[in-house]
Amino acid sequence: MKVVKLHEGRSHEWLVFGRDEERPSKIIDTNQYMIKTANHAIILDPGGIELFSAMLAAVVHHVPIQQITHLFASHQDPDIISSLGLWDKTLPHATLYAPWLWEGFLRHFGCNSIKYNPLPDEGKSIRLDDIEIQFIPAHYMHSSGNFSVYDPQAKILMSGDIGAALLPDGAPLFVEDFDHHVEKMRLFHQRWMPSNRAKKDWVRRVRQLDIQYMAPQHGAIFKGKDVNRFLDWLDELEVGTGV
Amino acid sequence: MPSTPKNSAHFFINAATVAAELSVVLTEAKNISLEAMNAKALVARAGDNVRTFKPITDFMVELANDTIWLVKEINREALVLSRTSLSDLHSADAHERFKQAQARSRTAPFGDTLDPVAQSASHQHHQQSMQLKRHMRKLFELLDEIESRMLAANVVTATSRLEAATAADSYQASLEGIVVKLEKAANRIKHIASKCRHSLER
Ligand SMILES: [Fe+2]
Ligand SMILES: [Fe+2]
Repeated sequence: MKVVKLHEGRSHEWLVFGRDEERPSKIIDTNQYMIKTANHAIILDPGGIELFSAMLAAVVHHVPIQQITHLFASHQDPDIISSLGLWDKTLPHATLYAPWLWEGFLRHFGCNSIKYNPLPDEGKSIRLDDIEIQFIPAHYMHSSGNFSVYDPQAKILMSGDIGAALLPDGAPLFVEDFDHHVEKMRLFHQRWMPSNRAKKDWVRRVRQLDIQYMAPQHGAIFKGKDVNRFLDWLDELEVGTGV
Repeated sequence: MPSTPKNSAHFFINAATVAAELSVVLTEAKNISLEAMNAKALVARAGDNVRTFKPITDFMVELANDTIWLVKEINREALVLSRTSLSDLHSADAHERFKQAQARSRTAPFGDTLDPVAQSASHQHHQQSMQLKRHMRKLFELLDEIESRMLAANVVTATSRLEAATAADSYQASLEGIVVKLEKAANRIKHIASKCRHSLER
């Protein structure tokens, strides 16, 4: 599992975990994120059960497990959070922030000790030591209960499946050529995103944020101007093409 | 004894299958019970002519009741076993994944913070395996018991045959009919019990 520091500030840092070489084939590659503050850490979209061991091993290179006090699941998909049952054994005192809509479903993965903190549809903010973390509504993008995560201090938006690209193994972690990258994203967004109205709503919300990095759960991370390029592209794209 | 994940994997299915197979035994036991009632009526009607057959009918009633009770017990135990082997499978999986994480993080600065979690997963797995073994032993004991009842039934059918042969002519056919039915039911139960045992031992 590769680990890259996305942001390092006075009060906190962002780490990306991904491109796991030992990932079983046929399993979609995912990026996991961790925000680490002085005394806490939150893992964003901790990933599927199949990469739990690799993820846990990578995490303890950076924090003692007791410091991980929070988890976040953008939605209910197995590649996002089917590892929940094992995190539940690892971090029995942690709190999971996830859409209220999925509570009864996510508990099927095993959530006996971890506290489930249901996110309301309108989203909310929490504090982790000195920083604020905002959960931004992203419903129907693609899941019907779905959130993005925004850190106003580091100016990072963790966008979950939005901005995802299906890339070959070993692809670079950052978008290098936007026009070329578009082709790797098109099908994913057209087929997995169901609603043009929801898409417009999300783009409108996100345009109001100051974003330096947009970090999706699959594929490559957008930097600087590519973030706006992506928003423009998505705004124009016809989605929900499965019917 | 199954303690590896692979064994548990087929085990929870087999244990559930056992419960289903046993419904046939229950039907047979109810048949014995019915036959015992017929035999009792016959013995009462025939009076002294078939006096020696009376203990046999009592035995049949007892056998039917015991078998029904045992089947219910086995059924309960088989379902518990199925659940336990599934938990065993989960705990083995968790144990394995924590072990892998430990192996991969030997040089990590905070790798040792995993140790208590990995230890507790290993402990939990051990407990689950012990419990699985306990439940399995219990289930085999119950199957043993049902099989030994059926062996006793075989002995009794042999003596009943002799008794039937010495009874008055007018009752001989009915008594022999009862003996044959008891024998058939006992053999079928024995067959199913050993089938269950085999599917659990596989
Ligand atoms: Fe998804
Ligand atoms: Fe995903």
